[in-house]
Amino acid sequence: MAVDRREAALPTAPPAVGVGAAVDDSSAGAPIAQASLWKDAWYRYIRNRAAVAAAIVFIIMVLYCLLIPGFWRIPGIWTSLKDYDPNAVDFSQAYAGFSLDHPFSTDKFGRDLFARTAVGGQISIAIGFVATFFILAIGVFYGSIAGFIGGRLDNAMMRFLDALYGLPYLPFAIITLAIIGTQNFLAMTIALTVASWFTSARIVRGQIITLKENDYVRAARAVGARWYRILVRHLLPNTLGVLIIAIFLELPVVVLGEAFLSFIGLGINPPTASWGSMAQDGRDAYRLHPEVLFIPSLAIALLVMCANFIADGMRDALDPRTRETS
Amino acid sequence: MTTFIIRRVVWTIPVILLVILMTFLMMRQIKGNPFRHTERNVPEAIQKNLERKFHLDRPWYVQYAYYVEGVFTFDLGPSMAQRTRTVNDVVRDGFPRSLKLGLLAYLWAIVFGVPAGILAALKPNSIFDYFAMLFSSIGFALPSFFVATLLIYYVAVKFGLVPTNGWPTGFFQLDSRVILPSFALGLFPMAYFARLVRGAMLETMQQDYVRTAKAKGLRYRRVIGLHVLRNSLIPAVTATAPLLGLIITGTFVIEFIFSIPGIGRYFINSVSNRDYSVVMGITVLTSVIIVIANLFVDIMYGVLDPRTREAR
Repeated sequence: MAVDRREAALPTAPPAVGVGAAVDDSSAGAPIAQASLWKDAWYRYIRNRAAVAAAIVFIIMVLYCLLIPGFWRIPGIWTSLKDYDPNAVDFSQAYAGFSLDHPFSTDKFGRDLFARTAVGGQISIAIGFVATFFILAIGVFYGSIAGFIGGRLDNAMMRFLDALYGLPYLPFAIITLAIIGTQNFLAMTIALTVASWFTSARIVRGQIITLKENDYVRAARAVGARWYRILVRHLLPNTLGVLIIAIFLELPVVVLGEAFLSFIGLGINPPTASWGSMAQDGRDAYRLHPEVLFIPSLAIALLVMCANFIADGMRDALDPRTRETS
Repeated sequence: MTTFIIRRVVWTIPVILLVILMTFLMMRQIKGNPFRHTERNVPEAIQKNLERKFHLDRPWYVQYAYYVEGVFTFDLGPSMAQRTRTVNDVVRDGFPRSLKLGLLAYLWAIVFGVPAGILAALKPNSIFDYFAMLFSSIGFALPSFFVATLLIYYVAVKFGLVPTNGWPTGFFQLDSRVILPSFALGLFPMAYFARLVRGAMLETMQQDYVRTAKAKGLRYRRVIGLHVLRNSLIPAVTATAPLLGLIITGTFVIEFIFSIPGIGRYFINSVSNRDYSVVMGITVLTSVIIVIANLFVDIMYGVLDPRTREAR
């Protein structure tokens, strides 16, 4: 959700440039120096207990979403569980309550929520990652052009972003959906991408501009490296740290955005489930059966929280200078 | 300073024009002619007349010019779905309610979020700090529709403390019905402010001038109040503008859940009714508000932190 948080949380200075990349030039890309940077970051990350716990929960959630619909039965342990089709309607089982058969109860159509939460999660997480990928890809493209070329073009491109920043997130996404005309996976991804790619563009531009001033860039230029080589070999690899953090800052924004759209009835068409549309379904009878609303909502909250913690942990790991006193 | 403000204000005009242009071009991409949706077959002549009345027979840039003229003269045109109402009527009805909701949400955030951040920063790693940050992490993650429904379920339905929905009519009228929606909307900014202020405070407290102030023998209260607090609240002021976008997004959902007839609810209804002039009017209105809020914050930032005047 946090347009601002994404920017605020990112280091303004490049992560450990001096250590990692200053040595390269002849051995451009410098695998050895980079390996030590990433190894270093890895050690710092795994010392951060909250971030590690968040990463583990995150992986478990992803595995649950991926594995449950296919491998419902765990032999020897949960053999009583049947292989439920997440979209199978059975009115005799509506709101069946918690049981071994239905660990997460069932909804008003008698659809098993344990299986449905898993497939809904697949959609939510997939939209999250795919849209994040496009957001970052566009951001890198736009931001590196603006930052690298600079001057008037940069100015014009940034003014254009200023105007885009004026457009409110949700209406922008809704209008994009209306233009596309359908509400499927692709449409949702496009709408959420279109509505929120500018922050990443701004971040990348800021990074490129700071990195451009480094000595190794000047050195590369002095030995006659072409502009694309400087950009691709020297500048972009150094934005990688920031981009990895940005994945986990962007993911919650997209997942929540999808949930909001679904919740106000503009999400993926039923019967395809996403966590947002499941919460919307649960709204019908939340007074009697709150669990139908609570389970997908808690899943969203857990995922978002994990992503936030992971992003914080990664930021601290990749750039110790920005670490808050703790 | 005056030149900075003038330059910044003048710059806002092309940004607003560009925002309107973007919205305008996007709305044109949506398929469908507003006059061909009716069940009755509209005769060719009437169709032509209607198109002429709404300038639909002119090229797009002329239509854009008409629309811009409308925006600057506060006339957002007729509603396409509600025959007797104009977009202005819709805005006049809905906007004060949404504005009140948003302001109350900010109030929650400032009254609870900022002090929580300050107290947490004064005693880092204390129990209070721990709980404030835990609360802030949760506030970040919980989707506002979930918070809203949770509140309705427990506070309104189970214990019956406040009504489940509704909204007082007058702008300055407040009653128990505003508590839940504004809190649900304010939770995110609250968490955000708490974290932001805490981070800024901790950073400021490590500055040299704070050490100097302490070394001079200033009293703790004076160091915190005069040197730390003043400088740490600047980020909170700057954050108001980007937060506004989130608050607006939040109002859409909160108004939907609590059945508050604000612009967010009108917007959602208009999207499903294909009432595009209302959709466009509300989008343009919110965009202009965001642009103006950005302007205001930039100027405030320039006043509070003179170093930024030239850089921007």
